[in-house]
Amino acid sequence: MTPDIFYVEDDMDYAFFMQNAVQEVKETLNLSIVEDGKEALAKLQAFADTKTKPKLILLDLNLPGLSGLDLLKFIRDIPYLKSVPVILFSTSDNPDDVKASIEFGANAYLTKPDGYDNLIKCVHSVHDFWFNQHLRLN
Amino acid sequence: MNKLSVDLTNCDKEPIHIPGKVQSHGFLIAINKTDLTISYVSENTGDYLFTPAKDLLDRPISALSGYFNQPDFNIDDLLKLGVIRKSFDAISPYPVEVNKNPFYLIINESVNDWLLEFEPVSLQYDIQSLVGRSASAMLQGKSVSALLSGAAVEVKKLINYDRIMIYKFLDDGHGEVVAEEKEEHLEPFFGLHYPASDIPKQARELYKLNLTRLIANVNTNDSPIITFKENTPLDLTNGGLRAVSPIHIQYLKNMGVYSSFSISLIANGELWGLIACHNYSPKFIDYKAREGSKLIGEILSSALEYRQAEEDSEAVELFNSTAIVLSEHLNRDKYLVDALTNHDKNLLNVTNGTGVAIIFENELKTIGQVPDDESIWELADWIKDNSDESIYYTHRLSEIFHPAKNYKDIASGILACSISKDPDEVMIWFKPEQLSTVNWAGNPDKPVTPSADGLANLSPRKSFETWSQVVNNTSEKWLPEEITSVLRIREIIVAHINKKANEIRLLNEKLQSAYEELDTFSYTISHDLRTPLTSIKTYAELMLKNKTLDDNGKKMLDRIVSGANKMNFLIKEILNLARVGRSEIVYETVNMQSLIKEISTEVWAAFKADNAELILGQSIDLKGDKTMIAQVFTNLISNAVKYSSMVEKPKISVSANMDGGETIYSVKDNGMGIDNRYYDRVFELFKRMDNVKEIEGTGVGLAIVKRIVERHNGRVWFESKLNSGSTFYVAFKNR
Repeated sequence: MTPDIFYVEDDMDYAFFMQNAVQEVKETLNLSIVEDGKEALAKLQAFADTKTKPKLILLDLNLPGLSGLDLLKFIRDIPYLKSVPVILFSTSDNPDDVKASIEFGANAYLTKPDGYDNLIKCVHSVHDFWFNQHLRLN
Repeated sequence: MNKLSVDLTNCDKEPIHIPGKVQSHGFLIAINKTDLTISYVSENTGDYLFTPAKDLLDRPISALSGYFNQPDFNIDDLLKLGVIRKSFDAISPYPVEVNKNPFYLIINESVNDWLLEFEPVSLQYDIQSLVGRSASAMLQGKSVSALLSGAAVEVKKLINYDRIMIYKFLDDGHGEVVAEEKEEHLEPFFGLHYPASDIPKQARELYKLNLTRLIANVNTNDSPIITFKENTPLDLTNGGLRAVSPIHIQYLKNMGVYSSFSISLIANGELWGLIACHNYSPKFIDYKAREGSKLIGEILSSALEYRQAEEDSEAVELFNSTAIVLSEHLNRDKYLVDALTNHDKNLLNVTNGTGVAIIFENELKTIGQVPDDESIWELADWIKDNSDESIYYTHRLSEIFHPAKNYKDIASGILACSISKDPDEVMIWFKPEQLSTVNWAGNPDKPVTPSADGLANLSPRKSFETWSQVVNNTSEKWLPEEITSVLRIREIIVAHINKKANEIRLLNEKLQSAYEELDTFSYTISHDLRTPLTSIKTYAELMLKNKTLDDNGKKMLDRIVSGANKMNFLIKEILNLARVGRSEIVYETVNMQSLIKEISTEVWAAFKADNAELILGQSIDLKGDKTMIAQVFTNLISNAVKYSSMVEKPKISVSANMDGGETIYSVKDNGMGIDNRYYDRVFELFKRMDNVKEIEGTGVGLAIVKRIVERHNGRVWFESKLNSGSTFYVAFKNR
């Protein structure tokens, strides 16, 4: 099944919150989560091979081993996935990180919201933009 | 002949080596060196030889033999022997019989003549063995002063004068009695000083050439020397009968002295002093007794040379060991001045001074006899203005620096030495006025009865008055050893200061890197803390969605969320602070008008400060890191709004002005103000006043402001009055 959102996150707590939040925002949204960069690489390769294209990719910036930025670079190098919108997602609000992410071709940089209520708000706006508005634009 | 009329004004010019007279206890015949004829003769010669003295003149030397009743006595042969030996030491004294009495013939050399002096013999015993015993007794003295008193005792035993004084010439030529042996009933002269003029320069020269000098009786009439060579006075430098200057005779008479005998003490080729012997009745001692005394003088001279050198090197040794001890103190003690002044061996021991002051880091400390603090500061200023050298010394301070007149008794001599490159840091050693160390027995003001010849004012007492004027305002001189010692201490201190400065620099570097490490550390830890904190808050919020929770449970979860929020805020602030230290400053021109407006809007919204009034004055664009400058103004304006929220009509004004090379922004409120007890701590991390507990804050904001401003090389300060408001200023350098 093609996931609506492919999410790479090593923090199991946050992955759990995201799962909850996405479900709360839209039941039918399908979220696929992997825990580390290596796993993510395999999955991304599998997407390319099987011609499945997630609608949105969320990358945690700080991952053990391969970082979010490494993954972003990898995605942009695979022609099939090149056009998938990628959002970098991090606890850091360091301007340097934001700058680097945009330079590497991220479509957006989001600071991880603090608390569940804020997360809901965040997922709402992401959904609204990337799944409603954005799709309409396309 | 000596035609010069001598008085006090010219006595130092009196040609005392050619007095034209001899003392009449003996007689003199001079033989011309070239033709061996009698060239000069003292008039009293006639009395001894029963022929008019005049008749002897121009007669050949051989004619003399006829006057002595001695078949083997041939003066011609004696002279030839002396010439061959190049000395008459082994010939003199040659015993002769004059008028049935034993006499000594003593032969000495003059310029063109041989001096034949005939003196009576008085000693009945062998003085040589006495001299040997005396010398060994005298040499028992280990120190210079013991040596001198020993010498006085032995000389007294040998020649038995009423008073034996050892008289030492000091640097400026004046003399001091340094040892004395006397008849008990006499008043002591020990410790007395005599002016240089008491023994004029030419007399001192004579003392160097002719080592003994006898004045047998001040009241006899001298016998004139007669000659046909009227224009060539006979040089009596080496003669023992040489007549005495009338001024000196008067001087002795004024002291009540009838006979005087002196023995020169020579050290290192210079006249060190005299053994001066006074007798209060006429006294004659014969040639052998004088030679015995002379030998004692010579032995004393060489012992003095040796002991003095020994004592000098002991003084140097003492200075050296002081230097070593001070150097140890400097290494061990925490504070430089304490190390130099707080121990038994201290800065005072670096010289022979009687007081010392040290000015270091604007503080004055003294040891021993010193002027009052104010005078020392004034003196230090004067030294700074008047000496470019690292060392300055004088032994007549008050003559150069008039205010020092007030404390000349303590500091007529100073030796000043700078400690560092800073001319304000100085050490000063003091020596007292020397006059205060002089004692003169009796009343120096007591008038002396004038005598008919007008020479009565010639007395040691009168001389003392003259001399005391000369040495007024003068201290003992600074010795080369003392100056060397001071320079060595200076070197030690300077090296120590440099070492300390180096240590501080290293410490500073360590501190700097520790500070940077701390920044990295706080950044990392804050970051790592945020993730679990977010989890706590999020789980709490998730749980709150559970419909089965009762009110109590909900309340507790709310508390968890609010605690997490507080902690999160704090972490964010620390992150901000750490970031200021870590990140590079990107200089750009910041449009301040728009920045302040933007910030104000945010702040007003955040604090819902609708009732607060914002007064925007002039705004001047700043050059700096935009993000950081925004942080500064966000913090300052937030504070202004926060801490004036309790007043009825809060007013916050922000304005800028240029002053010197700076642009100064002020952020002013009419809020609660800052208690002056907290003034020092306003910019400290996590410091908050007790009365603002109810206002939200972390105590980080102003620390961030200060750090940012300082990283921009700017300044931040404030003025405040409790309950009427605060004004914070930030000044940025114009670039």
